[in-house]
Amino acid sequence: MRMLVEQVRADLIAFARRPETLFFTVFLPVIFLVLFEAIFGDIEVSAGSDYALTQSTLQVPAFMAMGIVSACFVSLAITMVNRRETGLFKRVRGTPAPAWLLIAGQGVTSLLIGTTMVVVMLLVGRIAYGVEVSVDRVPWLVASVLIGAAVFSCLGMALASITPSSEAGPPLANLLVLPLYFVSGVFVPVASLPDWLSSAASVFPIAPFVKIITWPYDPAAPDVPWTSVLLLLAWGVLGLIVAARFFRWLPRRG
Amino acid sequence: MAEAIVVEGLVKRYGDRDVVDGLDLVVQEGEVLAFLGRNGAGKTTTTEILEGYRTRDAGRVEVLGQDPAEAGSDWRARLGIVLQESQPLGALTVRETLRLYAAYFPHPRPVDEVIGLVGLADQAGQRAGRLSGGQKRRLDVGIALIGRPELVFLDEPTTGFDPDARRQFWDVIQGLRELGTTVFLTTHYMDEAQVLADRVAVLRDGRVAALGTPAELQAMRGGVEIRFELPPGVAAADLPGLSAAPDLAGGAVRVETGAPTRDLAVLCSWAEGRGIELANLTVERPTLEDVFLAIAGDHGEAQA
Repeated sequence: MRMLVEQVRADLIAFARRPETLFFTVFLPVIFLVLFEAIFGDIEVSAGSDYALTQSTLQVPAFMAMGIVSACFVSLAITMVNRRETGLFKRVRGTPAPAWLLIAGQGVTSLLIGTTMVVVMLLVGRIAYGVEVSVDRVPWLVASVLIGAAVFSCLGMALASITPSSEAGPPLANLLVLPLYFVSGVFVPVASLPDWLSSAASVFPIAPFVKIITWPYDPAAPDVPWTSVLLLLAWGVLGLIVAARFFRWLPRRG
Repeated sequence: MAEAIVVEGLVKRYGDRDVVDGLDLVVQEGEVLAFLGRNGAGKTTTTEILEGYRTRDAGRVEVLGQDPAEAGSDWRARLGIVLQESQPLGALTVRETLRLYAAYFPHPRPVDEVIGLVGLADQAGQRAGRLSGGQKRRLDVGIALIGRPELVFLDEPTTGFDPDARRQFWDVIQGLRELGTTVFLTTHYMDEAQVLADRVAVLRDGRVAALGTPAELQAMRGGVEIRFELPPGVAAADLPGLSAAPDLAGGAVRVETGAPTRDLAVLCSWAEGRGIELANLTVERPTLEDVFLAIAGDHGEAQA
């Protein structure tokens, strides 16, 4: 346990001292939230959306989702690949540290970063835009964050496992998430997409995640979107299988 | 004295090439062993098998009494490993890095003690990414020492160092010897082996081609060389009888002798008697480098 605390502490320090990761992972989603609120916040109701919410409200959970994906998927995958390819993992495997430590350390670190961003956006939404989540649905918001963090961490591990080199890390991760942000209700409301596009996007993991994290914000929405939960969990399992199959500790050469 | 490393008939194949081909080696506890060989001779492969990173195809290997292929974290806690290339987390300071690695070991040395051992007291608060090459490597060694290892593997630790950095690094290794740590040092540099090693193993084609103290290896190359220039007006046949026939190349005379004192005396009284000053007279023992070049064989790239 002490080992895990030290590992997470070191991982957090290393994360916080790299300005580029700090900017892209943490600040960018928050800046986007503020920008999008300024630009689209006035649009009254998003007709045709799954939820009867104003655009201003929809955007808060949407960018929370982006924050989790950014920390647990993009940043985690890039970090894991870097550490493997620079021989850091190899080196730690030569110490008595157990194998799970590096994975758990990075997982907990990403969860902490993602959660911090969610809390920041919750407060920004509440204070600046009066966007509220009903108290009895706060547990579901917490559950959504935890499920999302777990699933996207598994997918991040999977991506890291199949990424060949440090150089390939950032472009590959961003290539996967950027288009999905557009078609999964993060940058653009799902309601304004053509049907074929939104139904195509709904198969991938970001759309169901946006859907379940938005649910607590709509007091009128009846049932928890269980189909989305199951779909998201299925992606997590797939990620786990790929990661378990292709995971490597050693850099490509040697 | 107990054995820290025992290797018998070690074989490792990549494709149809035997990179390690029946290697035998014993390293005693507390010994500093230099492991030399050209690129491609199987140094790193052998080292990584001993460290437990790679599997082997045949042979018996025991490191600190256990088979590295099956040993667990208790065994790794007794080792210190410095890889040929590895980067610590650049964003962490020297002290933070050592603190993290200390958490991996059951009975770590105090971080400040390790910082002192590797001579990084002035850089303790500096980020690893901003250290010089030599300082980074010393941090690497510090990481290897944090768990109080009985055996330390160093894979080409001083490659790319400037002379000052190498000497500072050597002091660190001498310090390890004083702590009673067994050191398995892979290196390209003969002077490094000469200064640091109790014994030297020279690897060739995946086997130990020569093994001994630096002095023993030097003695393998026969005797001492006496060189001078053939004085003007003197024919080779006019030279006095020495214990070995002289070798002539142009005007240069070279005698390889097992009795240098006697031969020098004969040569000098002969020259003195004729009032000749022998130009460029030198007496030299072969260096470890000469021995290495003779034993290690053709350049590795040729066969790779």
